[in-house]
Amino acid sequence: HSLKNKCTLFKFKKLLPDQCNLLICADEIQNHCDLLRQWLAPSSVRVELNKKGFHREVTTTVEFRSKELSSVKVLLIHRWPRDVYVDPYQLASLSDQNNWKILLDSAIDLEVPAHKASGFVTYVYPFSTGPTSKLFKVTIPIHGRYHKPSFDGKMLKSVDIEVPELLLRSEKCAQLSSLEPHTVVDAPCTASNSSTCSWVKVKPQQDLNPVSFQLPVGDGSLVAHVCGGTLLVTMICCVALSKYMWKHQVI
Amino acid sequence: MEKLISKLTEKHFLFTASFVIRLALVAYGDYQDRTMAVKYTDIDYHVFTDAARFITEGESPYNRSTYRYTPLLAWLLTPNIYLNMVFGKILFIVCDVLSGLLIYKVLCLRGLRAETARCVSSLWLLNPLPMGVSSRGNAESILAALVLGTLLCMERRAQRLTWAALLYGLSVHMKIYPVTYALPIALTLRTAEIRVDEAKKVSRFKKLVGFFVGFFNQDLLLFASVAGGVFFTLTALFYYMYGWQFLYETYLYHLTRRDIRHNFSPYFYMLYLTAESTWSHRLGLAAFLPQFALLLVTSWMYYKDLAFCCFLHTAIFVTFNKVCTSQYFLWYLCLLPLVIPNLSLTVKQGLGLLLLWFAGQAIWLGPAYFLEFEGYNTFLWIWLAGLLFQVVNCFILIQIVTHYKPTKTPLRLKAE
Repeated sequence: HSLKNKCTLFKFKKLLPDQCNLLICADEIQNHCDLLRQWLAPSSVRVELNKKGFHREVTTTVEFRSKELSSVKVLLIHRWPRDVYVDPYQLASLSDQNNWKILLDSAIDLEVPAHKASGFVTYVYPFSTGPTSKLFKVTIPIHGRYHKPSFDGKMLKSVDIEVPELLLRSEKCAQLSSLEPHTVVDAPCTASNSSTCSWVKVKPQQDLNPVSFQLPVGDGSLVAHVCGGTLLVTMICCVALSKYMWKHQVI
Repeated sequence: MEKLISKLTEKHFLFTASFVIRLALVAYGDYQDRTMAVKYTDIDYHVFTDAARFITEGESPYNRSTYRYTPLLAWLLTPNIYLNMVFGKILFIVCDVLSGLLIYKVLCLRGLRAETARCVSSLWLLNPLPMGVSSRGNAESILAALVLGTLLCMERRAQRLTWAALLYGLSVHMKIYPVTYALPIALTLRTAEIRVDEAKKVSRFKKLVGFFVGFFNQDLLLFASVAGGVFFTLTALFYYMYGWQFLYETYLYHLTRRDIRHNFSPYFYMLYLTAESTWSHRLGLAAFLPQFALLLVTSWMYYKDLAFCCFLHTAIFVTFNKVCTSQYFLWYLCLLPLVIPNLSLTVKQGLGLLLLWFAGQAIWLGPAYFLEFEGYNTFLWIWLAGLLFQVVNCFILIQIVTHYKPTKTPLRLKAE
């Protein structure tokens, strides 16, 4: 085999993927880019919702076809709606138990209601649990925000969680243009956000619908009854208490 | 049975045992945090520690979101970072036991026998609620100690007035609610009107003038200047160090707080539904007026018995507040042992009222759990349970007020 003819070598590897390692390649970068291309082969991304109520867990499971893992980095980008939030302090306390690191794109207000909040983006960097595993599982705890009361009789509000984007990069493959037609995206290299790298976006196997859940909302149509009832009971309690205190005052 | 009680409440045993039990709880809490998913330590403790860490790095403690306390607390907890994270909890349990000691001393000054006073103090010292709260890392016991210290010094105000003013200024700096005690304290310290036999001869105008002039006496001016001095010095110092954010997070947030998330307050649902409407401010004021009016009435009716007055003040403040969480209950529970010896309720009646209070909370917690952790829309039930809880609280307060028999302490007898 002529080592100078890299293109020929490249075509060979495409036909015989399992014999890749038997071929002595002068161009290491080309090798790694091939590895990356194999990873871009359809892989499955599954999103599940666990728990109930205002405190939920979003579990993203990514399964790859390829087995060779070592130099490839994985990034999951979740775009969250304004209806939910994550607690950065909770995430920090969970970080030592997890096999992933997370980066938030903005400061999160934990208390503001949904209509005053804005959506945010999280970058999750999972690391593999073993050299031959091709499965990544990331569980993010999220919390629902309070919503504006509804005036149309609906007791629950739907919240949609989109399937995250899956991005890959290899430290040793810089020629991402060779991996077309996959799109190249810029994103932080690691969770420490010290630099930006180019990542390749993996096309999902099929168009996945967002996962959704429901949050209870107040009933705005009862506002008159609630205000009237509350003020009435409070006034009665106030008057009763004053009356007894007047009667039994300490002279 | 009586022998057992007297043995348990023997002075050294009582205070030592209550400290040791709290220490054991702190140790257990540390174990649970390390081994189980559900943590023992309260989230507030982590907030304090994070704020203290910011201070050790030379930054503002308000960089920690949801830190809504005085910087003094974060400064006090800096040994959490330098020594060990358990320092804060040890400080809180020491203040807790100190509160028990202060309760004992106040009761003795109010004329109780030492053994009875210890028995009543054990209602705080051996009570699982303050034990749990302090060992979980809540700072309420510091404030309880400060308020009880103020009351103790006020009982001995002939010698300890400056101390009372100092402790009072410090307690108002730490949390706003003791500011409501200003009126009964002022009424206590002013020169009372001289009773004239023929009241008709003194004109109304003169009476009114006499009433206001009575506020300008040496004791009250001393108290006001020391307490005010402490408060404004600390405020100025921390404003200089941390700016507007200190003022907002420590005071303004609590004064304007409109938490629309579910809590014990009867106003919660009303404020949630009207949060975005133009009526929001007017309703907020409508909620404030009964609270304010009741505090005025309480001050005027009960200022002569300062401990009872402060208890009623805080209980009414919490019951009629726009936001109410279980932490607030400790604010008046620490004053309840001072009131109990004067209550003519039987043990059965007392326990009945206590059970009623817990039942009121349980009835609220049910639908609240289903809302938050199961996702059912139980807002209406939570609202009704909140109203019921308010009625229960008022009923209990009315029972306390109607069965209260003030005692004449030696100090008061001397003055009269």
